[in-house]
Amino acid sequence: MKNPNVLVIGSGVAGMEASLILGEAGQKVYLIEKESLIGGQTIKFEEVYPNMECATCMVAPKQQEILQNENIELFLLSEVEQVKGSVGEFKVKIKKKARYVSLVNCIGCGACYEPCPVSLENEFEEGLSKKKAIAVACPGALPNVPAIDPENCLRLNGKKKECQACKEACMFDAINFSEKDEILDLEVGAILIATGFGLLDAKNLPQYGYRKAKNVYTAMEFERLYAANGPTEGKLVLRDGETPKSIAIIHCVGRSEQGYCSGVCCMYSTKFSHFLKHKIPEAKICEFHTDLCIPGKSHQKFYQKILNQGVDFIRFDDIKVEEKNGKMQVIYKNGNGEKDKFIADMIILSPAMIPGGDTESLAKTIGISLDKKGFFSTQSEKLSPVATAVDGIFVAGCAEGPKDIPGSIAQAEAAAGKILSILR
Amino acid sequence: MNEKIGVYVCECGPNISERIDIDRVLEEISSAEGVKVAKKFGLLCSNDGKNYLADEIKKEELTHLVVAACSPREHEQTFMNVCLEAGLNPYLFQLVNIREQCAWMISDKEEATRMAIKYIYAGISRVTLHKPLLKKELDSIPDVLIIGGGISGIEAALCLAGKDRKVYLVEKTESLGGMVKKFFELLPYQGSNLAVIEEKIEQVQNNENVEILTSSEVEDVRGFLGNFEAVIKSKSNGSETKEIKIGAIIVATGFKLFDPKNIPQYGYGKIENVLDALEFEQMSASGKILLKNGNPPKSVALIHCVGRNEKGYCSKVCCLYSIKFARHLQDKLPGIDVSEFYSDLCLPDKADQDYFEEAKKKGIHFIRADNLELKEKDGKINVEYKVAGGKKDSIAVDMAILAPAMVPSEDTSKLAEILNLPLDETGFFKEVHEMLDPISTPIEGVYVSGCALGPKNIPESIIQSQAASGKILSSLIPGKKIEPEVKVSEIREEFCTGCQTCLSVCFYGAISFDEYKGISVVNEAICRGCGSCVGICPSGAIRSKHFTYPQLYLEVLQALR
Repeated sequence: MKNPNVLVIGSGVAGMEASLILGEAGQKVYLIEKESLIGGQTIKFEEVYPNMECATCMVAPKQQEILQNENIELFLLSEVEQVKGSVGEFKVKIKKKARYVSLVNCIGCGACYEPCPVSLENEFEEGLSKKKAIAVACPGALPNVPAIDPENCLRLNGKKKECQACKEACMFDAINFSEKDEILDLEVGAILIATGFGLLDAKNLPQYGYRKAKNVYTAMEFERLYAANGPTEGKLVLRDGETPKSIAIIHCVGRSEQGYCSGVCCMYSTKFSHFLKHKIPEAKICEFHTDLCIPGKSHQKFYQKILNQGVDFIRFDDIKVEEKNGKMQVIYKNGNGEKDKFIADMIILSPAMIPGGDTESLAKTIGISLDKKGFFSTQSEKLSPVATAVDGIFVAGCAEGPKDIPGSIAQAEAAAGKILSILR
Repeated sequence: MNEKIGVYVCECGPNISERIDIDRVLEEISSAEGVKVAKKFGLLCSNDGKNYLADEIKKEELTHLVVAACSPREHEQTFMNVCLEAGLNPYLFQLVNIREQCAWMISDKEEATRMAIKYIYAGISRVTLHKPLLKKELDSIPDVLIIGGGISGIEAALCLAGKDRKVYLVEKTESLGGMVKKFFELLPYQGSNLAVIEEKIEQVQNNENVEILTSSEVEDVRGFLGNFEAVIKSKSNGSETKEIKIGAIIVATGFKLFDPKNIPQYGYGKIENVLDALEFEQMSASGKILLKNGNPPKSVALIHCVGRNEKGYCSKVCCLYSIKFARHLQDKLPGIDVSEFYSDLCLPDKADQDYFEEAKKKGIHFIRADNLELKEKDGKINVEYKVAGGKKDSIAVDMAILAPAMVPSEDTSKLAEILNLPLDETGFFKEVHEMLDPISTPIEGVYVSGCALGPKNIPESIIQSQAASGKILSSLIPGKKIEPEVKVSEIREEFCTGCQTCLSVCFYGAISFDEYKGISVVNEAICRGCGSCVGICPSGAIRSKHFTYPQLYLEVLQALR
């Protein structure tokens, strides 16, 4: 008898979609998420192409459903420690870190943030804003319950053992400093890996001037700048508060280094031009691209629309960013081999999508292989695009390789389909 | 009036109690018509709170319940469950949001209190008009109809068929396999040799739970999720028709290629040895890559993006199969000169770029060009083109292979009509939500997968078929009943003039016209309660259960008073 339970690792759009389908089918789902909130990367996007819908709003009902579905048991701040067994009878050990805030008692009023004496860089906001040692990642995070960062909390790291500012502010007795990390044992019949992607660190490619020239941003930083719930509440301003007048968007950052095209950057970079035109109509915008990769039946139309709004699209061969006398310039060789430059107040880099940070260790823990590019490999050569080489273990979304949101969702639904089909 | 309405205000800890004067609210509300009790509680969503509320409903014999607390998104379902447990129909309950809409929005306590009172009045006046709605349960058939026997349809059949679920696989040609069977090979990282395909075909043919109906077409479909009826017409059996009952449908009717004759400058159909991609696939499959004169070609031009501009989209797969062609030509005809003419190289999958780099190393020329024109010259094909910067150039080749855009297959629009499915502006089937629900259609229980939705590669088609299967496996469980939406539209016969305006706005195909009575009829099993028909009905004959005009009117009136 196969164990009908399923372990889903990662609660981004792919993990959530698969969990909801499996949950609806009546399977017990253990959804493991290493962060303190669910939703993955998609919830960082204000609007998504090509219909410019609000991503947060699109995903929120799914997040709510995940939190309310009786068949889905969610483990936040949790990671997989060990996997043994085989299809139908996997035995999994999970490490669940302490949150120090009760998911049951806390109502998310936020009264505890203000009194916390610690101020930290907010990673969720790409370091563009500060947060407290007790915090939610961003307004609207779900579950709307903060977590305490034990490394930075003065009481938990031992620097000021008597501090209980947050506990005093909490009216719901939600804070528990004595909560401990736990190891949990789960038994499942199938496993789905949906751990998503990371972005190539633009610091590794010094020619783009990231973290050297002042106003060079990565795509994810720019997404957060545009987001209404982000660090500037959606104002497109430079680090000194000024509005940029000329903006360069550079595609394919790290494409040749990684050896693959990420498939989504052309479209989201074009979306950035749309944002910029919308908020700063007089701005001069230049998109520097190599091959325009805009497959999909509605994407070319979107590109044409932006092109017609007066955004320049320049094909480059060589490109670098320099800062001279406080002015940034993009120096490039265009498609005809001619050298030219573009003076920019703001430069946005579209870096390659790379495997998520813990891909390698997770692969080792689970005992499955990665491909040449470091993503989880599937049996694509056998036309089984969501199945790994191990029976009962599946991959969906960007953990398998760069892809867009609908591609991730389709793959998650496919994995759920395969799981339901083998566990029945 | 003999309502016994209970109004309960949640303090939400300090969230509501500190910013709204709850005692004043209760004082005011308790005298409202029909209100039997008005009380406050610390945290109604807590277990204590829920038990308290259930006890109150029973003790006070409440006929209606109003809870003034947080957003319905947070706890509407929580309190509906409390009602159910306490024996009160959950639709006789109204949640009034005085946290997000008053306490958190209005800093002045006096003003917030005033607004909260208004909103609670609005809730009370609305709830008195609520009708108890009952959930219905319908039997469902787990069997599935798959239209199209290509790789998408085959994959879905394999995923779905089981001892408690029969699959009907309808294919209009004589055999299974679709377009893929015409290919001489697949990309090495996407199936490589065709044995993988043959294996899948064999599996589906040997599956006793799959009934394969070749040379057959779907003539008619009626019904809704769990209970569809379809008429299948067989061309081989003397036009015999067969009626089947199924619970869900997958449309996997694939694509065809854009006809390059529509763009005269490519010379297709006029110049000898200008082929389209499918013709070259078949020529390679035959093992004889030859010119019309019987000699093997010494030089070949591969022309990408044929019809891209005309159709307005990139078909995604052409760059890769053109590279596949080039590499195959080099393997089979050593010394051959191969040039690829492209506009943008579209290599979005993780293994694509390596495949391209290898081709480049093998000496295949890649030329970015536009304004291509093919002309016959001294028995050869002269490819004239413009490179970046506008410079003109040309080469003469023995053979040219065109990579035309993928377009919807022949019977797409006919099937769209039969199934009442929308098409998008490119003529492919339209998904219900391009981002979040890429394989569903507005008709519940009907899915589309593979190239019927738009150009894609083989793995993506397979993924979509497995995805559609996942949706069906989770929503149509053998022996389990389905629960349609209860807050649906209803048409009052006496007011309906039979104008049929509602039919045109119903996204879900839930309304039909009763010719005999001359009125529109809502199928409650299909209606999802969006209310479009209510808004458009010129005679006011349609109302939305739980959102009737009097309910909305009184609610708004009180909120604005």
